[in-house]
Amino acid sequence: MPSVIEIKDASYVYPDGTQALHAVSLCVEAGEAVALVGANGAGKSTLLLHMNGTLLATQGEVRVAGVEVSRLTLSHARRTVGMVFQDPDDQLFMPTVEEDVAFGPRHAGMAQDDVERRTHEALARVGMSHLRMRPPYRLSAGEKRAVAIATVLAMAPGVLVMDEPSSNLDPRGRRRLIAQLRSFEHARVIATHDLELVVEVCTRVIVLDGGRVVAQGPVRELLNDEARMLAHGLERPHILRHQHPH
Amino acid sequence: MAFPMAVERWLDVARMDELARQGTPVHRIDARAQTVTTLLFIGVVMSFARDELSALMPFFIYPVALMSAGRIPAASLLRKLAVAMPFAVAVGLLNPVFDTRPALALGPLHVSSGWLSFLSIMLRCLLTVSAALLLVACTGMQRLCEGLVRLGVPRVFAVQLLFLYRYLFLLADEGRRMTRGIELRSPGVRGVRFRVYVSLIGHLLLRAMARAERIYHAMQARGFDGRIRLQFTSPLRLADPLFVGGWTLFFAVARVWNLAEALGALLMKGVG
Amino acid sequence: MHMADALVSPVVGGTMWLAACGLIGHSVRRIEASAKDHLVPLMGVLGAFVFTAQMINFTIPGTGSSGHLGGGLLLAALLGPHAALLVIASVLTVQALFFADGGLLALGCNIVNLGFFPAYVAYPWVYRVIVRGRYEAMRGSVAALAASVLGLQLGALSVVLQTQASGIAELPFGAFAALMLPIHLAIGVVEGCVTAAVVAFVARARPEVLPVADAEPVRSLRPVLAALLIAAALTGGLLSGWASSLPDGLEWAIARLSGTEEVSALRGTWHARLSAVQERTAVMPDYAFRQTPLSARPDGSDGASAESTTARADAPSALPLGTSVAGVVGGAVTLLVISWLGFVFRKWPRAV
Ligand SMILES: Nc1ncnc2c1ncn2[C@@H]1O[C@H](COP(=O)(O)OP(=O)(O)O)[C@@H](O)[C@H]1O
Ligand SMILES: [Mg+2]
Repeated sequence: MPSVIEIKDASYVYPDGTQALHAVSLCVEAGEAVALVGANGAGKSTLLLHMNGTLLATQGEVRVAGVEVSRLTLSHARRTVGMVFQDPDDQLFMPTVEEDVAFGPRHAGMAQDDVERRTHEALARVGMSHLRMRPPYRLSAGEKRAVAIATVLAMAPGVLVMDEPSSNLDPRGRRRLIAQLRSFEHARVIATHDLELVVEVCTRVIVLDGGRVVAQGPVRELLNDEARMLAHGLERPHILRHQHPH
Repeated sequence: MAFPMAVERWLDVARMDELARQGTPVHRIDARAQTVTTLLFIGVVMSFARDELSALMPFFIYPVALMSAGRIPAASLLRKLAVAMPFAVAVGLLNPVFDTRPALALGPLHVSSGWLSFLSIMLRCLLTVSAALLLVACTGMQRLCEGLVRLGVPRVFAVQLLFLYRYLFLLADEGRRMTRGIELRSPGVRGVRFRVYVSLIGHLLLRAMARAERIYHAMQARGFDGRIRLQFTSPLRLADPLFVGGWTLFFAVARVWNLAEALGALLMKGVG
Repeated sequence: MHMADALVSPVVGGTMWLAACGLIGHSVRRIEASAKDHLVPLMGVLGAFVFTAQMINFTIPGTGSSGHLGGGLLLAALLGPHAALLVIASVLTVQALFFADGGLLALGCNIVNLGFFPAYVAYPWVYRVIVRGRYEAMRGSVAALAASVLGLQLGALSVVLQTQASGIAELPFGAFAALMLPIHLAIGVVEGCVTAAVVAFVARARPEVLPVADAEPVRSLRPVLAALLIAAALTGGLLSGWASSLPDGLEWAIARLSGTEEVSALRGTWHARLSAVQERTAVMPDYAFRQTPLSARPDGSDGASAESTTARADAPSALPLGTSVAGVVGGAVTLLVISWLGFVFRKWPRAV
């Protein structure tokens, strides 16, 4: 069975000439949770946008569930990979929470009954059913994030890709998010600066620096390597300090 | 696009949205019915002779009824009216200057037709402006846009109205944060220097465009292919045609007969 | 320069609504044909941007006043004319609905005045002609300035024409135009400077987002036809408006001629003018003065108009006192009853 996401030597140059990715290669297997860490501007967001074809690699290739992502296979990539963007305000553009969650299923051409069922299930899954009729701009940051995740869950993707999901959350919202992320059965790719979240949710880490993959490996092994973390503008997470490395 | 917007007006927009979320009988009337009735109301009110006064009075029942049954506080409407009136007042005030023809004699008191038409302009202004404000306060932007699409307004137009409304608060907040820094450094100054202004507006614009691009990506990620699909679930209820029909009948009657004058004549006969 | 509901007659308002609907329909078709999906969120967000930009003022050096962005031409320069028209139309719609700027009946007028002229006249016929192809700073500034001024002048002129054709405001055409056009010349210059500077800023920061001006031919015949149609409708409305109020207009002009010296001596403060008018009405309660200038009228059409004027001068005394009193009493009682009903209504839904 092919990896759900497979990227080989992908490079990307923005229209203004900025080269954001240099020959990046990585794999994500079904059901696993992978963290993507790296300083600001390392290229995390750019890399994530390649996973559902929002950006198409200038060089190299990106495969989603074995199918190469190209202009012709965009809809396949977008059905398979659910993307939670960094700013929920960009993702929640419809007038009500319900409309927003229904947007994906409806644009996949589902019947009204199915759209409703999916919307209902997705909101229940993130515990936000009570906000159904509210306008998204009136929600708290934590609620927005949860609803943004619901909009993606409603499309029943095989992979969840998230850009800094715990940014702007208060401790309670963050705890809830972490519990949710742990509960998902999907393959997950999480770009984040929140290394404690990485330790609690992910099994594997990929470190990005200057648009290159500079390290990858099991979470505890890699994050405990203080010298290496500092070299890439990161730090050894606090919770690991109180535990002995295996 | 004339007036700079004060911050309070933004709070008003948010309040309006809240008002529109109430569940009164008026709010349950279909947005299409309300839109049609509002337009009809404005058309009829404006079709009176330009110095008509008393015949306009019965028309106040429409905004007052909506306001009361829809529990819209009069204060917020009046505040907006105060903001909206100046242009009409300024232009209308010239009527008494240019038109001194006597038109009304109340015993020794002669009122020129210019004053009559000025007062008439003010009355119409009150009526039409409050009708428009009440339309949105009783439906809300989302239902209104849905209603517009179902009335045949192009989807592209309605959808981008919704987007405009959705991101109004967000961008206003961004703008406010950006200007606050400048205001703190130059207290008491009403505007900023031109150079500063241009870079402020320029940055705001670039951010807005970047945001639009991110939204577009988010839409594509969920299957947007250039055509927004909206689902209309609310069917017309019996109350909706009744609402339109009832008001139409009333407008027609009040347009044809001067109800206020008839009432006055009746009262005076009773007294005398 | 929002046109206000209370100054627009249903005929003019309706005509302008039709024109606005035609314009929106046209631009929607062009946008759908262009298949630029990204315009959907971009238009909405830029509409919100225009609102936000209007909250921010800058000081105009040496005048003590402040200016801000209108946005019509800027939108056209960024989005092209079709999308710009839609954005302006929706900004105006939101303003009418939420802020009571303009109004619903006047919405058509406002879309034509503030949308059609900048997007479909000033942009294609001035801005793009000067900018030609890729944006370049010097030409861009000249273009923005010229196009803004033209767009606003046409818009202001159109406000005057619409007011005139509606015949609700008494303000004479010449005076109104003499007031509106210079003001909007100044506004246009300010708007042009801001537009030029902001476009230059964007061109420096992100040149790739500016549309290449000759990418899509805009000077098709249809907008021009639309313009002609609007002009025709306006003139038609204007003529009919004038025709019906011809005696008034002449009468007014003559009254002014007769009072020229007085008025010019007192000119300046409205207060002085107003008191002059009041004085006149008070001193001559029998309105005899109106007859004098009429008979001195230079053209030969004395007879009929003089008759009609005499009839009107007699009108107030002929008007049965009872009717007008009944109107006043009835109006007041109606208002009272309606306010009382208001309280009743307010109680009623709570009981349900
Ligand atoms: N739209 C864009 N145009 C040009 N350059 C960009 C754009 N977006 C990001 N970049 C550049 O690409 C690099 C990687 O950015 P990004 O992927 O956002 O990093 P991260 O998400 O890790 O902070 C940065 O140098 C950034 O400046
Ligand atoms: Mg990022």
